Amino acid sequence: MSRFVAVRTASAAGLLLVLSFIIFCLQAVSPGDPVRASLGANSSPAAVAEARRRLGLDDPFFARYWHFLRDLLHGDLGQSLRTHRPVTTDLGDFLPATTELVLVAFLLALLLGALFAVSASLRWPGGTAFRAVLLVGAAAPPFLLALGAILLFYAHLGWLPASGRGGDEGAGGWVLLGSLLTLHLGTAASALQHVLLPALVLSIAPAISIGRILRASLDGTLAADHVRTARAKGLPEPGVLARHVVRNSLGPAVSMAGLQLGFMFAGVVVVEQVFSWPGIGTYLSSSIPVSDFPAIAGVTLVLGAVYIVLNAVVDVLQALADPRTTA
Amino acid sequence: MTPPLRLAPALVATALVLTACSGSSGTSSKTASTSAASTGASAPAGKTTLVVGLSGDIGQPPDPDVYYANNGLAIVLNAYEGLVQYKNDADTVQIAPRLATSWTVDKTHTVYTFTLRPGVTFHDGTPFTSAAVKASFDRRNAVKGGAAYMTAGVKSVDTSDPMKAVVTLDAPNSAFLDYLASPFGPKMQSPAGIAKYAGKDHDQTYLQTHDIGSGPYTLTSVQPGTEYDLTQYPGYWGKKSPFTKVRLPIFSDPSALQLALDKGQVDTVVAALPSSALKKYKDKKGISNYFLPTLQSALVTVNPTRSFFATVPARMAFLKTINQQQLVSQVLGERSEPATTLYAKGMIPGGADKQTITYDPSAMKAYAKTLPSGTSMSIGYASDNVNAQQMANIVAAQLQADGIKATAKGFPTSQVFGWVQDPPKGPDAFIDGNNGPDGGSPYMWGHVFWDKTGGIDYFGCDDPQTDSELNTAVKTGDTALYVSAAQKYAATGCYLNLSYNKDWVVAQSWLTGVAAAHNIGANELDFSLLGVG
Repeated sequence: MSRFVAVRTASAAGLLLVLSFIIFCLQAVSPGDPVRASLGANSSPAAVAEARRRLGLDDPFFARYWHFLRDLLHGDLGQSLRTHRPVTTDLGDFLPATTELVLVAFLLALLLGALFAVSASLRWPGGTAFRAVLLVGAAAPPFLLALGAILLFYAHLGWLPASGRGGDEGAGGWVLLGSLLTLHLGTAASALQHVLLPALVLSIAPAISIGRILRASLDGTLAADHVRTARAKGLPEPGVLARHVVRNSLGPAVSMAGLQLGFMFAGVVVVEQVFSWPGIGTYLSSSIPVSDFPAIAGVTLVLGAVYIVLNAVVDVLQALADPRTTA
Repeated sequence: MTPPLRLAPALVATALVLTACSGSSGTSSKTASTSAASTGASAPAGKTTLVVGLSGDIGQPPDPDVYYANNGLAIVLNAYEGLVQYKNDADTVQIAPRLATSWTVDKTHTVYTFTLRPGVTFHDGTPFTSAAVKASFDRRNAVKGGAAYMTAGVKSVDTSDPMKAVVTLDAPNSAFLDYLASPFGPKMQSPAGIAKYAGKDHDQTYLQTHDIGSGPYTLTSVQPGTEYDLTQYPGYWGKKSPFTKVRLPIFSDPSALQLALDKGQVDTVVAALPSSALKKYKDKKGISNYFLPTLQSALVTVNPTRSFFATVPARMAFLKTINQQQLVSQVLGERSEPATTLYAKGMIPGGADKQTITYDPSAMKAYAKTLPSGTSMSIGYASDNVNAQQMANIVAAQLQADGIKATAKGFPTSQVFGWVQDPPKGPDAFIDGNNGPDGGSPYMWGHVFWDKTGGIDYFGCDDPQTDSELNTAVKTGDTALYVSAAQKYAATGCYLNLSYNKDWVVAQSWLTGVAAAHNIGANELDFSLLGVG
């Protein structure tokens, strides 16, 4: 098992290295003048030349990549051309917002996915309508779903806010988690209100994926011999479901949930943009038009790392659950 | 299963059905009117916090020697002040006092003497004297930001009299007062603050989250991507507004910004809403619209390095095929008027810089007939500018009617600025939805748009005589020479001043003093001049 974990870790590191090289190549071949975009349209040629020299943009490709890699290994992602701050500082400001959004969305996806699966397998009343609505939501483009949610819950009903995070940045940007931990319940309630709408929009597509896997797994387990035996022995239905069905059906759904968590980090850009959510998606979408390479590379590497690590964790969990998968 | 759990799917289903049903409507006026009606438009009792909605983050730190973009000026211009500014509530360029009460310029445009305003203090309590002028100019040169050119020509600042600053330039420059009046011009900073927070980067780290200015407001909270907050400076020398706090929340999506304005959660939006929203707010109850003069224009730039526009007649034919009147009115509406001069409106007294291109689609039809069948060309626009996109599409459609395979294509900002290094890689023409000079001197316009070293001459279309005349005119301020330079550049067929653009300010009706708080150089308001009425 330890060898399997070591191999998985090494391959994850290798993947990140390849990712960094691909990002760097894309930046090198992309047309544009990030310095002019960063300094301003009317900046003098002297100022532009000085900035290019300072940023090493006139150095040969491999020299620049080596500097980039060397700094990366020291945890230095460079300075954003747009914000003029270290990218690590920017990510420290923006990543907590994204993490809180994705975590709440993930919990919602688990809840909705479970309801999707259980309502289908156990044929609950209203379940068909619920599943149909979820499927329609998942089929709609995220920006349209987000705008629709804003119109309904903010503009028409006035139940939920449509932008911002609902509290002062505190505890390193962890508005929701920070206020919960410090028992500032007013701030926590406001933060929860603010995160609910974007999280709901972000959660619907993953909920379908998790729900479908869970439903297939539940159907298989419900038809299994040991469940029939448990019912025949007169065990009450909730007990049968809890002890014999749900536990034995969770494996594939957990794997899918892990993968979906990675997808949610990558797919957060559109949702953050529409809800003015100050996360790394918004940071990335502001950095792309001005070719702010350090920022783009920083966000991409973080998202890549999250995805790769989550994949590795899922693999390891699966291996722990079923050692035959490592063979 | 417990009853609440049984109800959960049905409740979620109902909510999602309603969401899906409303998802296709966009932001209809009906929706906005309904939400606005609930907020009303009466002046809120005891309102002391002003909420100014920003469309997107300010992008760069609000450091006056670094910031060189748009919406962050709301912070810079309320936390800092220059020696002079453009006169508020005027539609022509007029230099007005700010931290200097008066000034004299010698005949050679080399020595500028400023009498400084007494009783001014910076936010750290340091009194404003001529030492601050020197320290502020020095800092701008040291930081080497985009607008460092404005002080690069300063040879010395005589500070022997604390209330008089004598600035001597390396060479004559009649545009220097405009440099100082520009929203991007050098702002006065506390010399004590500059020394105290210098660090290794000339205060740049400190000024990302603080300010050392003398303006009516001080920067008290910085949450990048979320919100910036300003608090009224009690020791401000000038007029104070009833707003002791100004919040500037950031909206990444224009629809969300409009909804917040409709619900009264945002008090004003300055030059940030798309033209498509003009109709919605035109007669909206509780909302006031202001169309305020600026130095900005929509422009058409033609690429002479591409074979399609290799000749002057071809370029002229293209410019003539643009129905300026119709295009401006159709796309930009009330926020613009068709440009009739080569420089910004009123930059040249009396309009001597008249633009002579007139609408004549027959010229392009004739040119199209000389081209091989299926000849293609492209019209570029900045991908984040909806107005420019619409104009490019309309012009492309006109060319298609002439038998040319014309397409409109969006480009990110950094790519647009990269064309000048390799112009053939750019499109055949480019429509700029909104652009302008740093200040009101004709030199500042001509240099950036017509000189390939200026910054916004995208395709490097250059006429050496134009450059030469501009460089001579800036030394003396000779208007006739500026006009001559403009006419020579217009003859290249590379350029069309399409429209004079205005700042469209949308505000709750109770907000007063909007026009008086605005000037032609800035796309922002002086919050100290606003009120509740």
